[in-house]
Amino acid sequence: MNPQLDTRLFEPARLNLLIGLALFVLFLVVNIARARGGAAMFIRPMAGLKAVEEAIGRATEMGRPVLYVPGLGDMSEGGTLASITILSRVARRTAEMGCDLEVPGYDPVATTMMEGAARQAYVEAGRGDSFRAGSVHYVSAQQFAYVAAVTGYMLRERPAANIFMGSFYAESLFLAETGNLTGAIQIAGTDQVTQLPFFVCACDYALLGEELYAASAYLGREPIQLATIAAQDWAKGLAAGIVIVASILTALGHPEVGRLLQTR
Amino acid sequence: MRNGPYVVTFLTGALIVSFFFIPHHRAQEAQSVILDWSNVVYAFALILGSVTLWAGHQRKVATRAPGWAYSVVTLASLAFVTIWGVAQGVEEGTAVNAFYNSVNSPLASTMFALLAFFIASAAFRAFRARNTEATLLLVTAIVMMIGRVSVGEFIWPGFPKLTEWLLDVPNLAAKRAVAMGVGLGAVSTALRIILGIDRTYLGRS
Amino acid sequence: MNILRLDRRVIFVLIALATALPLLFPVNLPISVSPRVKAAYDTVDRLPAGSYVLVSLDYEPDIMAELQPMSIAVLRHCFRKGLKPVVLTLYPAAPGLIERALDVASKAEGKKRNEDFVFLGYKSGNQSVILGLGESIRTMFPTDFWGTPLEQIPMMRGHNSYADFPLVINLTGSSIADYYIRIAATRYRRPLVLGATAVMTSDYYPYLSSGQVQGLIGGMKGAAEYERQMGLFGDARRGMDAQSLVHVVIVLLVIVGNVALFLSGGMRGGASGGTGGGTGGGIRRP
Repeated sequence: MNPQLDTRLFEPARLNLLIGLALFVLFLVVNIARARGGAAMFIRPMAGLKAVEEAIGRATEMGRPVLYVPGLGDMSEGGTLASITILSRVARRTAEMGCDLEVPGYDPVATTMMEGAARQAYVEAGRGDSFRAGSVHYVSAQQFAYVAAVTGYMLRERPAANIFMGSFYAESLFLAETGNLTGAIQIAGTDQVTQLPFFVCACDYALLGEELYAASAYLGREPIQLATIAAQDWAKGLAAGIVIVASILTALGHPEVGRLLQTR
Repeated sequence: MRNGPYVVTFLTGALIVSFFFIPHHRAQEAQSVILDWSNVVYAFALILGSVTLWAGHQRKVATRAPGWAYSVVTLASLAFVTIWGVAQGVEEGTAVNAFYNSVNSPLASTMFALLAFFIASAAFRAFRARNTEATLLLVTAIVMMIGRVSVGEFIWPGFPKLTEWLLDVPNLAAKRAVAMGVGLGAVSTALRIILGIDRTYLGRS
Repeated sequence: MNILRLDRRVIFVLIALATALPLLFPVNLPISVSPRVKAAYDTVDRLPAGSYVLVSLDYEPDIMAELQPMSIAVLRHCFRKGLKPVVLTLYPAAPGLIERALDVASKAEGKKRNEDFVFLGYKSGNQSVILGLGESIRTMFPTDFWGTPLEQIPMMRGHNSYADFPLVINLTGSSIADYYIRIAATRYRRPLVLGATAVMTSDYYPYLSSGQVQGLIGGMKGAAEYERQMGLFGDARRGMDAQSLVHVVIVLLVIVGNVALFLSGGMRGGASGGTGGGTGGGIRRP
């Protein structure tokens, strides 16, 4: 239908997505209720996130800074939002341990948000005065100009720990290899599937895909945040079940269930 | 007032999500307008970024911090491109256009080209058969590297087919699974932001 | 010399030689055309002469090595078939590159601007522009790149939205392709051919297998295959010699590294370290 003349209030081909979204919200509500009721929310250990503590401790002992690279996404990307949340946890830890934190920003808006989050983390740790103005700073919104600046910082200042969390693109290997040259412990997490192999090969720890989104809940351990991870897992289980059933039925000559999953 | 940002976030988020399901042309026009607003906000954010950049580098020059000479170059470039760009424009034949084509573009291409060297050193260091998974990665990487170039066909005509199978079957299956997880994770993060469960992006816990 | 601790600079020199030598002394290794690139070629080839094609070229100088030869090959194909490409870009740094690509392709095939092709130039907005093309191209691009109003270009009369283009081609190094899949291919049901960098190409295999994308050209290899299909010998085919030798050098380095590891007894055990990192290994220092 010509979109200019379209006067429909609902797209029937997207009913399946609406049902999926409604189910997801239902799972969220149920798990938040469970969390508020005191139910224990289990989250499996993630070696990469356990290592964040070690990395910050190592940096404190060596008297060298922690470099936190928030990725090259803007505020519309989920990876950047997750990165800001993780940054606030990391900043709190560096504030508590008295370790220097450096955060070069790519997107101007995201950098402003990150500075606010980091500053607030220092205040909550009771170290508001220790927050160094300029520790979170905008570098460039050009991919390789940003990379040149960050790798230059790595080679000059030799941070003891590099934490890469967010949306990364072609520069991922550049950053990870340069960090490796300086002997820093490196922990990376990205939602960009194409960059995962580079981080897995070049970093000490890597968070794969959705583990980046779970990281903020993992680090904070707040019941409501963990409840959202539980809801995500329920949704994933349901999706996996539907895919398996649809695949089997399609293989047996009944593609109707599979067609229900299609949309426009 | 304190809750103002959360209300705006919730309303905007809920609106954009609902527009996805509403094909009415007015809804689509509204979505287009909101997307245009985000471009306008981004344009102002670039100004904010430039001001922050200027302030940071100016501070370095004023205090003669290590590497302050490079900050002078940064400030001079920023001033030149801004003033000349506004005065003369950025079309073909202008100074800014020439600066971009002769300085910025080759630098970007060069940086990207350096990746080839980093890939080689990372591969040499990382592809070691220390255990089963590492050996599997090593063998797959060798097959892919050889199969994806002309030399592969030369060595064995079956290489391209093998690499296509590796890309079409195990690689695609794993990518789809990771993509599904990332998609659900992104929805979860978005809902946390829209519903105000996660507020750290606003500098609040 | 401890091979396991080989200086990176030795590796860098080997790679530099492997890249430069084939470019100076071409070997012209044979290339076969993969089904994905053949599908892209056939989709363009099937169009009758005079058909309009919307071509979105969205890349910047850093990835022009992969995408510029692709653009030239695709544009030359369009010109050879008598198709009418309407070209645009969503990247601010792309117009100069696209001008060059159009110049090379049009001169090679004897085509004229505004009679055989139109270049609309750059428009910011990404998703909003791609959405807007479904309603009115003139609203998004009132003039062409050189300032001529679209009303004054005879080629653009009667062609103002996706509905007037039987094919959309997007060559990009970013997630702009996702918008074209969602909007042009899915919402407006336009046949879509994609070209992407080698790293990103595998992200789009699912769309190819689901039929949302009709053809996929991946990286310099894909561009070389397209040139081969066209019977051209362009930058992509020239570059494949260098890429082939670099891959061989990397493989040899990896094999040498593993032989050295085996001889040093490092392959026994291996409970820690994994691939050199990974999701669960212990801290590893180089």
